[in-house]
Amino acid sequence: MDPLDAEILDRIARFDPPPADLDDRVLFAVELGSPAAEVAHRAEETLVGSGARAAGERTRTITFDADSRSVMITVVDRPDNLVRIDGWLAPGAALRVELRRPEPAPARTVTADDTGRFVFDEVPHGLAQLLVHGDNGNARVVTPSLVL
Amino acid sequence: MSDVRLGALLERARDGDRDSLQELVRELNPVLWRVARGQGLTAEDAADVVQTSWLELLRRLHEIRTPRAVTAWLITATRREAWHRRHRGRRDVPDGTLALDGVADPGPPPDQRLLTDERDRVLWTHFSRLSQRCRDLLGIVAQVSRPDYSAIAEAFGMPHGSIGPTRGRCLAKLREMLLADPTWGA
Repeated sequence: MDPLDAEILDRIARFDPPPADLDDRVLFAVELGSPAAEVAHRAEETLVGSGARAAGERTRTITFDADSRSVMITVVDRPDNLVRIDGWLAPGAALRVELRRPEPAPARTVTADDTGRFVFDEVPHGLAQLLVHGDNGNARVVTPSLVL
Repeated sequence: MSDVRLGALLERARDGDRDSLQELVRELNPVLWRVARGQGLTAEDAADVVQTSWLELLRRLHEIRTPRAVTAWLITATRREAWHRRHRGRRDVPDGTLALDGVADPGPPPDQRLLTDERDRVLWTHFSRLSQRCRDLLGIVAQVSRPDYSAIAEAFGMPHGSIGPTRGRCLAKLREMLLADPTWGA
């Protein structure tokens, strides 16, 4: 390969580089204690709200699909710069849902009600990942990390 | 990095070595990013698809019998997930401000505004005239110093022997266009 080829490839490599935080997002997502039973794939994202409404009312709804169930969450910006996550498991079941954030933030766990609804309130912005624990305590569904 | 070395990293990662896993992620992410973007995904979707591929890899770590095939495995997983993502689509709603968000970028490059260097701009103009296959292939080859042709061939469903020549033809064509363009300079 001559210098011109090398220059061309070098420049092409710099077109559209990966986002600076891609490695960190991947490493955070895969640093689970043990591998997941199922990976939920992000299926759909809906954004509602913008300048027309008061600041701090932006709402994102994200659906993650796994074979055994779907996880839908609505992320609502709070006026105090934190967010609230309203979640719903379908099919509904009273399973434990864990919200992981990068260390040293401790993981938070709630139990969904019988219809599959769960809430995490006062969550800081930043990287997060959801895990749904199975009935037997270990089989789980994990989502990719998302930036709240 | 050679497939043998990547395979060794995978085996150590499988034994629980975090550093090896990190090295593997840093090494292969640029290629996977290129693959996802080459499928026409937005930056946000591409980042998501790359993560999903790694999560799937972790989940199946113990099923992988040929560690040196890890690049091909991940490229294939990324292409498949990117395809699904594109077909599932995204719906953005009412007030319209984000309606364009879900539209897939036509090609890899991104943002003309980022191409502040004149030669980059010229190169980009000609690069975008190449076939999709040439853009995909050169985009991936450019990310790895010693491209693993067998992994690329397997993942793209191209005969192993055709990767080198195709890369050569694509690069030769691009050179020819650049050298014929006075704005590229010497």
